[in-house]
Formats: sequence, C-alpha cells, structure tokens
Amino acid sequence: MSLFLQIIANGILLGGLYALMALGLALVWGVLNIVNLAHGAFIMLGAYVAFYLFTLLHLDPFAALPLCMASLFVFGYCLQRYVLNLIVRAPMFNTLLITFGFDVVLTYLAQITFSADFRVVNPSYAGANFTLFGVTLPLVRVLAFAMALALTLAVWLILARTPVGRAVRACAQNLLAARLYGVDPRTVYGLTFGLGAALAGAAGDLYAVVSQINPYIGDPLTAKSFAISIIGGLENPLGVVVGGLFLGILESLTSLYVGSTYTDVVSFGVLVLVLIARPQGLLGKTT
Amino acid sequence: MKRAIAWLALSATVVMLPLVPWIAPPALIQFGTTTLLIATLAQAWNIIGGYTGYASFGNSVFYGIGGYGTAIAMVQFDLPFGVGILLGGALAVLFALLLGLPVLRLRGHYFAIATLALAEAMAGVVSNLDIAGRNIGLILPLRKDDVLFYELSLALLALATLIVYWISRSRFGFGLIAIREDEDAAAVMGVNTTLFKSLAFMLAGFLSALAGGVHAYWITFIDPVSAFDITLNVMMIIMAIFGGAGTVLGPLVGAVLLASISEVLATEISAMASLFFGLVIVVAVIFMPRGLADLARRFRSLGWRYFRENLRLHRL
Amino acid sequence: MKPILAVDHITKRFGGLVAVNDVSFDLQEGEILGLIGPNGAGKTTLVSLISGTIAPSTGKVVFQGAPIAHLPAFRRSRLGIGRTFQLMKPFLGLNVLDNVAVGALFGTGGGRSQLHRARDEAAYWLEFVGLDHRAQQRADELGGPDRKRLELAKALAMNPRLLLLDEVMAGLHHGEIDEVVTVIQKLRSRGISVLLIEHVMKAIQSLSDRVLVLHHGNKIAEGPPQAVLSDPRVVDAYLGSRHK
Repeated sequence: MSLFLQIIANGILLGGLYALMALGLALVWGVLNIVNLAHGAFIMLGAYVAFYLFTLLHLDPFAALPLCMASLFVFGYCLQRYVLNLIVRAPMFNTLLITFGFDVVLTYLAQITFSADFRVVNPSYAGANFTLFGVTLPLVRVLAFAMALALTLAVWLILARTPVGRAVRACAQNLLAARLYGVDPRTVYGLTFGLGAALAGAAGDLYAVVSQINPYIGDPLTAKSFAISIIGGLENPLGVVVGGLFLGILESLTSLYVGSTYTDVVSFGVLVLVLIARPQGLLGKTT
Repeated sequence: MKRAIAWLALSATVVMLPLVPWIAPPALIQFGTTTLLIATLAQAWNIIGGYTGYASFGNSVFYGIGGYGTAIAMVQFDLPFGVGILLGGALAVLFALLLGLPVLRLRGHYFAIATLALAEAMAGVVSNLDIAGRNIGLILPLRKDDVLFYELSLALLALATLIVYWISRSRFGFGLIAIREDEDAAAVMGVNTTLFKSLAFMLAGFLSALAGGVHAYWITFIDPVSAFDITLNVMMIIMAIFGGAGTVLGPLVGAVLLASISEVLATEISAMASLFFGLVIVVAVIFMPRGLADLARRFRSLGWRYFRENLRLHRL
Repeated sequence: MKPILAVDHITKRFGGLVAVNDVSFDLQEGEILGLIGPNGAGKTTLVSLISGTIAPSTGKVVFQGAPIAHLPAFRRSRLGIGRTFQLMKPFLGLNVLDNVAVGALFGTGGGRSQLHRARDEAAYWLEFVGLDHRAQQRADELGGPDRKRLELAKALAMNPRLLLLDEVMAGLHHGEIDEVVTVIQKLRSRGISVLLIEHVMKAIQSLSDRVLVLHHGNKIAEGPPQAVLSDPRVVDAYLGSRHK
C-alpha cells in the first residue's frame, strides 16, 4: 500500500512540473492560436541554460530560474516578433510547419553544440529527502513542484488581474478592437510568446534538476504538453494543473506496473486518445 | 511548342534515369538512391496531404513500419526480401486502416498533432519489442549492390508518381480534391468521405512502407531512431509543398531540388539536412507557402511582388 | 399519390436551443414547395436535416417511401437528394467545369465512373444555368451571381429527384431573378421536385404550388401562396410584435 502511495506521490510531484511545462504551450495556443511544435525544444534549451549556469558558474538551479526565464523570454519574443508574426494570419498549417521547422533546427543545433550526452544538474542537496506519512519525498522534487505551482498561479493572476494581462486577452479575442484601443498587437504577440517561452525555460530548469537531459527530450515533452493542454482545456490556464497531475500520476503508475521505458509511449498514446475522444478537453466547452 | 519541349525533356529524363548507375560514380548513385526514396515519401505524402488536404505530420511511421516489417521478416523468419517488403507494406496498410479511422475524424491541426504523436508512440513501442531488437535494432542480410537498390528506388518513385497521376485524372482523385476543398460540400454531393480518406491514407502508408523496406535492406540496418526519424516528416512535407502539393510532379521537383541543394551545402545528406530543411521551411512558409507550382503560375503576372503579396496577406 | 418526401414530427435541439420544433409536412412529386420565414426561423436547419448534414434529435424523414434519417449525407445524395448552400461552398481550387463535374461523378446512383463523361455532363449543366462561358475559370474568380449559378449547376449535375434550394436568389437583381425562376420552372417540367427557401416573395408567389412558413422553429402556416402570404400570423412573424 505504501508503495502505491509512493507512486501516487511521485506522480503528483511530477504532475506539478508537467503543469508548468504545459502552461507555456497552452497560453500561446489559447491566447494567440499558435500551435508551437517547438515548445519542447524551448524546454530543452531552458534545461541546458540551467545546466551550464550550474556547471560553469556554480549557480544554484533555483536561483538560476530568473536567468533561464529571462533568456528564453528574449529568445521567444524575438522569434515571434520577427519571424512568427509574419505568418500569423496564414492558415494554421503554416504555423505548424514553421514551428516544426524550428523544432528540427533547434534540436540539431543543440546536438552539435551540447553533444548528445546525457546531462544532469546535481546541487549539493540533491540527495536530501524527507518522509511524510511513510512516503519519501525528494527535496528537489518538492521544491520543483512548489515552484511550478507558484509560477502557474502567478501567470493566471497576471492574465486575469493586470492591465497587461487584459491587453493580452483583448488581443486574443478581437485584434481590430484591441488595435483601436491603442494596443500594438505585434508587441503583445511578442510578449505573450516570450512569456510562453519563459515558462518553458523555467520548466526546463526544474526538469534538469529532477531528470537527465539531452538534446532529444524536446519532442516527448511537446507531446506531454499537448496532452495536458487538451485534457485541461484551453479556456482556463489552471486546467493544465488538472492535466498535469493526471499525466504525472499515469506515468508514475506506468513506470511501476508496465515498465519505465514505456512512459513516453504512454504520453503519446494519451495524447492520441484525448484528441480522438475530446479535443476540447475535460474542462473546455463543447463546440 | 513549349509543351512539346517540356514533354521531350520529361521523356529524356525518364529514359536517362535508369541508366545513371552505369555512368555515375558510387557517391552519386548513393545520393540518387536516397533522393529517390525521399521523393517517394514526398509523393506518398502528396496523396494524403496534397490531394486530400489531410496534412499528416507522422507519415514516417509507415516508413518505419515498412522497414521493420521487412527486417523482421528477413531476420527473424528467413523470408526473402520480396516477401518481407510486401509484409511491411501490408502492416502499414493495416495500421493506416485501424488507426486512420479514428484519427481521420480530426480536422486540421488536431489531425497533424495526432499523426505526429502516433509516429513518436510507435518509435517507443518498437524500441520495447524483442522481435524488433529493442533499442539496438536489427541487422539485415547483406546485399552489396548499389545499382540494384538505385533501380528499385527509381521503380518505386515511378510507381508512386504513376499512382498520383492516375489519381489526378480519376473519380477517386476528384473525390479527394473535393474533400480537401470542402469536406461538408463533398459529402453532400455524394462523396463517401470516410472511405476515400481511409483509402488515401492507406495508399500513402503503403508507398511509404515500401520505401522504408528498400532503405532498410539497402543500408542493412534498422533501429528505432533511424527508422522512425521525425526529421523525415519535415523533409517530405517541405519537399511536397515546395514543389507544389496537389500536383503530379511537384513533390518530385521539390525533392530533387531540395536534396541537391542540401547535398551541395553539406558533406553528407544526413548531417546538416535538418538545419537546411528547417531553414527552408521557415523561408518557404513565409514567402511561398503554396509552393513552386503556384509561384510559377503567378510570377508571370506579379513578378517579385509575389513574395511581398504573401507577406502582406499573412503578417500581423 | 405518394409524396416524394415526408417529414414526420422532426425536431432538432442544439443544447438548450430548439432550432426546429415538431415540424411535419409532405412534398409531392413534381411539386415546388416554398419555405419562408424570418431569419433564424430554422429553414436552413430543416434543409440540413433533410440533406443529412445534421441528424435530427427526434422525428423521421422518408424519401421515396424509404426512411433516411439514419443515413449519412453522401448516401442521401446517392438516393437523389441535391442541395445548394446559402453560404456557397464552391471548390475554390478547381475550375468551374470541374466543380460541376464532381456532382456528375458522385450524384444519384453513385454518379459516373469516367471523368470525361462527367465533364461532358458538367458542360451540359453549365449551359443550362448560363455559365458555360466561364467553364475554364477558377471558381474563386467568380462574382456573387455567377457563384449562385455554379452552386445550382453543381446540384443539378447530381441528377437529383429532389432539389433543396437555399436562397439561390439572394442578392440578385430583377433580371437575374427572372432567369433563375425560368430555370427552376424548366426543372419542374423535367419532373424534379423542389423545396425552395426564399425571401424574394415574387419568386415564391410565381413558382410555388404551396408554401410552408416557419417561425422560431415551428410551422405556423401551410397552403397555397396567396392564402399563406396574406395570413395575419405570417405577416406578424415577419413584422414582429410591434405590429400589434
């Protein structure tokens, strides 16, 4: 029984991180209607930023969060403002194709820059854990979980309560009206996509602490983010928490009862099933 | 007069191509074979993506299934190549039928994402199968005959192109085009959209699987990473679109052009291919999203403004 | 005489909204039935229920004596039901001739199997509606009235026994309306039954044998055009409650 509880606990901790991963994708998809197939590559880049900051500058990964987020934000902003903005009003397929291209290019560049070796970020407290109700909780995972949830909540608050958030949502709903109110859509799109990339960067940083990284982790993470976004629905940013927890627990159970090499298959499989069954998600409205 | 010249050029090329191995250096033959195979993939994609309008981002799954079907048949069951490749093709068709039915109900980007997820999932599934050699893969019997594989690949591309040509002039093809242009209107006009979509998907899968089988036997090796290489999707899609999706020769032209440029820019086709194709995608999608065919058609009246027009229409 | 189409207590709900509410009527063979009603009355929904684009919540549709409510749209087309769309849906990537050829390839009885025969038939129907001079132009190059003609030709090429026309005359001027009226009369002389949704009352009056009126999804009147159009309930529906 306690093994089962342990698995569930692992799943929950993983799920919180997954929620943060998916948040960037869901945000950009829900607000800008841009489906970013390179999202996982952004996560991967964030992970490598954290890795090099840790290895070269001995910067603690949690302290490195702002740097990871900032660097990915700038990257994402530029990508949107100067490249993606050129095809925003084209059929959705074009966006898919271009971000697919980004994904391939970024993965390749990462492979030749960082090599295909597995890396990990091991802060001094990496081995520490504490026990709660007979369940062992690794410290880093708990910290990552807490950080992930905090960021998710913060983003939700920003979107819902601040003027910037309102501008972003206005753009999403009615481009022309937003323009008439003095909002420059190009900048808003850039900021939003940048925010999505920043969140991916944060998720990558945290991911590097709890798991090994290499240039190829992008695609499975993109798929997981998609599955989570769709399960949680794109209407409410907090939906990713539901989706993330679901996927995290499912993966944890798979790891135990089926085999750890099947976890990626499960993620992709869930994505396909969710798409077939309910593309608008559990929390989304039925169109 | 122009048409006569075009026909002459085409016929000359068709006659010359099988003769290439006898006059070309080995490296060129190998480049030719690889290009012919990827061109086949582009043509196969053309059937489901170009004509039917269902842009699959995961056709590499059929390539991998074909390769593994061939490999398993030859390595685990000692069957000859001919049987193996047909087995791979049959498996691909079965996969397309069973998984196509639910997935083809999705529209637009949902379909694209689902096919991509399927491709990734299969790679994971295969890497867990003992019969497929798990992560290590399988080594196929050696058949050192580059000329043979060149001619096989050429024949395969010819088959694929003939099929696409037939499609462009048949009732089936018209049904596919109607589905692409407006699926609801097509249904109301009597097109059995479910059947036609499935057939197109199965056909694309079959041809892709044959290419996968030839490739596996040629390089005598298969493993999950190379067989289900996601980059293949990028290449086949951009080749088809660059040349002109929904045309008979577009994917061919796109494949030959892009493969050649990539070859010239890089030392070998696999290394920098991803970078090159990724960049081509970005540039092509921004400036010429409807491919060379459309560019050729409109350049006469618009000139360089064609590119500015595409930008103007689609930018924020 | 058995009706070619019998709609029996058909209802369609979209979530909480009742678009079509318990509507029943017959359409006799060779008849032209006008379907009128204010915007949002459910006319297009009713036509979509008959053509198979959407399925009814309850009720039956019987075509040529056989129930069809469970059949998908393409099967109904094969049986002989053709329709035009109010929001026209030409196949933009094809030229005009090929647009119509699709109808000939897949129409009643499964259509033709050979492309060139289908194109010959398409040419015939293009001439019938007066669009043959644009046969080789791409469909997206056509203007509004020509698109309407194309829409009609596409449906006709299917050789329907029952033709559902959804506002084919919207946006046309008097001369063009007269042309379309003539075309529809020619259809009747070939034995094709027609269900005609229209706002152009003069066309309704001159063409319809009977008229059916929908309001908020309910049938509120049915009968000869003169009687229906002077029915106070019908006038009320069009002018709204401020008329009271």
